[in-house]
Amino acid sequence: MSFIEARGVEFYYSPEEDKVIKGLDLKIEKGSYVAILGHNGCGKSTLAKLLCGIYEPTEGQILVDGMDTANENLSFDIRKKCGMVFQNPDNQLVASIVEEDVAFAPENLGYPREEIRRRVDEALKTVDMTDYAKHATHKLSGGQKQRIAIAGVLAMSPECIVFDEATAMLDPTGRKEIVAAMKRLNKEIGITVVTITHYMNEAVEADRIVVMNEGEIIADGTPKEIFSKVEELKAVSLAVPQVTELLYQLEQDGFELPRGVLHAMDAADVIDAFIGGQK
Amino acid sequence: MLKDVTFGQYYPGNSLLHRTDPRIKLLILVEYLILVLVASTELAAAVSIMFTVFLIAVSGVKLRILLKSVKPLIFVLIFTALINLFFTTGESEPLVDWKFITIYQEGIRSAVMMLLRLLSLVLGSSVLISLTTSPLELTDAIESVLSPLKLIRVPVHEFAMMMSIALRFIPTLIEETNKIISAQKARCADFESGNLLRRVKALVPILIPLFVSAVRRAEELADAMECRCYHGGEGRTKLKVMKACARDYIFFTFTTLLTVGIFFINNITIAGIVELCRDIF
Repeated sequence: MSFIEARGVEFYYSPEEDKVIKGLDLKIEKGSYVAILGHNGCGKSTLAKLLCGIYEPTEGQILVDGMDTANENLSFDIRKKCGMVFQNPDNQLVASIVEEDVAFAPENLGYPREEIRRRVDEALKTVDMTDYAKHATHKLSGGQKQRIAIAGVLAMSPECIVFDEATAMLDPTGRKEIVAAMKRLNKEIGITVVTITHYMNEAVEADRIVVMNEGEIIADGTPKEIFSKVEELKAVSLAVPQVTELLYQLEQDGFELPRGVLHAMDAADVIDAFIGGQK
Repeated sequence: MLKDVTFGQYYPGNSLLHRTDPRIKLLILVEYLILVLVASTELAAAVSIMFTVFLIAVSGVKLRILLKSVKPLIFVLIFTALINLFFTTGESEPLVDWKFITIYQEGIRSAVMMLLRLLSLVLGSSVLISLTTSPLELTDAIESVLSPLKLIRVPVHEFAMMMSIALRFIPTLIEETNKIISAQKARCADFESGNLLRRVKALVPILIPLFVSAVRRAEELADAMECRCYHGGEGRTKLKVMKACARDYIFFTFTTLLTVGIFFINNITIAGIVELCRDIF
């Protein structure tokens, strides 16, 4: 059984409005790194909240590690397993001091003091913010605030973290920090990472990409597979990474180049090989 | 415009008062208020002033900073003193009786007493709480001191949580206000000219976006807190536990004795002491 399983999920905020999620089936395996792509209003943020049990599906079922998110008795167990980092770094920090904010979740869970201390120190170390433990949260940069938010979730020792456009409000440096942190959490600690984004360059880093449009999944596969379908992505107003776009344009101009190239160096190799073949 | 706004007046330091358990300080504050308000004779007033001076001395706060906290209240202090001076009537002949102004001896006495009393209240509570206790410590202390009220279903934890979140969001909202002001100025909004009504009206385009955004922030924060398993104060533990040490208890006992003592001191008059001395010798 998959770690997260959505079965025929439908969701609307009120019966008069259109459905935000329309009959969605999704399986996310433990330890995977999944990016969910889609343009604004396609229901991807709603899906994130459904996965963590903040919202309950109107129709269908979501199971996190076998637990139904609609079951109120399990909501703490689900949240402990599946944490969430939000878009705005300012709106998710609860305390004015870094370490007190990181301690918030273990305090809520009622752990003894030594255990809280241990978890806080460990979480801060993982996001490389140990030196800032006593700092005031409002004086940190966006990227640092977001790392504290990640530490706050890590202090619950979750098995999965959902990032709901966690890099959207950051500057390029902050964005790099957070993407690096996601990768490290996934590869080194083995945490399942689900990142919701509309930055293609971030999606490239994932092992699997799920593309959403108007509440439905329209494509699902590895970055290479997804970004090979340039026309389909453009049809739902999504761009492809710049490198992929370049090769696509060259292909349109009659050069026979392979699709699904994601990184600049790979593209260079491909073009080099092509020129070599022409000679 | 809002750059200089700081919340509270916390003066970082490591004095005796800084190190005292904030809960003990809250209790001492209550006793101190009683002490100052009860002291009605010259002798009792002298004792309460001495205690105030003692508090200032152990707070390690510089006099200049202390006077700053009195500054906004100068008008109130003078006004109260004058009211007492002119409107207290006594049995003896008035000292001054000129047109509508009559000043009695009792008036002078009560004006001076009132001035000293108010001054002590302001100075004493500043050094006890606002200058030597960080806002976070204060919130924790309030939660802890009021926790017996939970028995009669007063939501003490929720109240403390609200206070600490409010403190946490003050810098964020100040930053946001500055951004909105700049944005409105860039579109030729004028906040500095015109009469009072015009200026108040000019604030509306700042306040409305600020409120809207605060509500949105609150909504997101609530989701984030829920995601981190917040479910009220029940079964919640704390990273930092306040611990009162022996010194704190000694301080507290001393203040308690003094406060009880002030009721007795009130009954001792200077004439009584003179008589006592005459009896002895």
